[in-house]
Amino acid sequence: MIFLCGIPSEPSLALVIEQLNKLSVPHVVFNQRHFASMELEFEINNGQVEGWMQLEGRSYRLEHFTGVYTRLMNYQFLPELENEPPNSPMRLYCHALHNTLTRWYEIAPARVLSRNAEIGSNFSKPYQVQLILEHGIAVPDTLVTNDPDNVLKFRKQHKQIIYKSISCARSIVQTLEDKDLQRLNRIRWCPTLFQEFIEGTNIRVHTVGNEVFATSVSTIATDYRYAYLQGEQEELKAIELPQELAERCVKLSQALGLEFAGVDLKITPDNQVYCLEVNPGPAFSYYEYHTRQPIAKAVAKYLAGIG
Amino acid sequence: MWLVLCASNDISALWAYQGLKNQGLEPLELVTTETLAYGVRWEHRLGADGVSIDITLTDGRRITDKDVHGVLNRLLFAPSESLLLIHPSDREYVIQELNTFFLSWLYALPQPILNRPTPQGLSGQWRHVSEWLCLASKAGLPTPNYRQSSRDLTSEMSVATRVVPVGTTVNTIIVVDGCVVGASAPPHIQEGCQRLAKLSKTALLGIEFATGPEDSWTFAGATTNPDLRLGGKALLDVLIRVLKSEP
Repeated sequence: MIFLCGIPSEPSLALVIEQLNKLSVPHVVFNQRHFASMELEFEINNGQVEGWMQLEGRSYRLEHFTGVYTRLMNYQFLPELENEPPNSPMRLYCHALHNTLTRWYEIAPARVLSRNAEIGSNFSKPYQVQLILEHGIAVPDTLVTNDPDNVLKFRKQHKQIIYKSISCARSIVQTLEDKDLQRLNRIRWCPTLFQEFIEGTNIRVHTVGNEVFATSVSTIATDYRYAYLQGEQEELKAIELPQELAERCVKLSQALGLEFAGVDLKITPDNQVYCLEVNPGPAFSYYEYHTRQPIAKAVAKYLAGIG
Repeated sequence: MWLVLCASNDISALWAYQGLKNQGLEPLELVTTETLAYGVRWEHRLGADGVSIDITLTDGRRITDKDVHGVLNRLLFAPSESLLLIHPSDREYVIQELNTFFLSWLYALPQPILNRPTPQGLSGQWRHVSEWLCLASKAGLPTPNYRQSSRDLTSEMSVATRVVPVGTTVNTIIVVDGCVVGASAPPHIQEGCQRLAKLSKTALLGIEFATGPEDSWTFAGATTNPDLRLGGKALLDVLIRVLKSEP
């Protein structure tokens, strides 16, 4: 039995549910918006995790779940809590339920995509860059500093540099333009991440267990995910990676503890490979819709332990 | 140089700093969260030439990765004192940026570092008590039963760190690089503690036990930031040995 949680209409979750249906794999979906009608309890006895879940009027043993797919949104932003005052019974229950759910799947003896402990490397880009370097994959030259002079020197060294957040918050990549220099002094308040811009093709590689799905993204926007904001368009195409590169992506993802990941690569015109980032909870539907790659099917099969 | 990184009110770390200094670990620099808060210059580079850090503190001291031989790291959070001057709409963002930056530059410090930062904690991986229980059981330590329910309404801010009732007296064992110091425990408990430190990949780990009749020891909790004073001189001896060791 597979357990899925989140908002069922969210595209990536919806695709996996659809595939589980097609594969006739028994599954249960927890719609976060119906949190008030769900109950959960678990116990740890001599290291064994057991418990039960009451969902939409039915009861399930937790130890029967062999796969878990989590696409939970921050419960504090659920519409159902919008008008709830702090510490109201409904708000407290929602917290208790999500806390219990998270605690359970962190220790559940199941295939979990993905546990919080495993998605952490993406919280800090320069930290993750160090892990990528440790696995022998090149990264763009990166500088984190609060010293404007340092940035100006770094910019001189490289043809073009970009800046982005260090954490995963407000993470839109922007090119550092001349017009930005007048506000460069503001970085004195908070170290900022600058990076050499690598010319080349963006490749998103989804790894699911040992399976690899690569998509090339052609655009002239600095950050293809937000090409529409920059008035640009992007074109996505399914591609085959050289086997050695595909294996390196799988190894990197697994070294970060991720059985499902979105590895962002840049391949230069002279075939140099750079890794920009590894996304631990990829919203893959965007790529699947454009390329028809069977990513959701691979996720469903992984959760079910098939193949 | 060697570094002790801690908050200025971390009495336990200040005790260790003084103890290490008295035992002749030189040059030893105490760098507090508060020192890191104001006006320092940060430079952290990553790329084909490797990873480096270069920090200039307000008092003129400079920390570079090349000069550091070892670190006792007790930082829990990036400094946030100066952030009150930042517009509220940006404050949360800046706090997140600083914490994730601290994770990276601390990770870039040369080893040995006790403890190395992780995304779940700047001085070692924070774990919920339920995760510690599973690991402790796997390590062969006697553990109490644990139950958690969605019906247990607790404040969003409350986090359980022990599985024994508040007020229960606990004994603390500290494992440093595989060596056991602190409370005197039966050999099988000491061995279990060594296994737990290894399983949790934590170089410096405090493990608490409730003791009962007939010398029974039951796991009560674990922390990456134990009260170092409980380890006494034995802890300082191990710390010096580890900090002086080659990575």
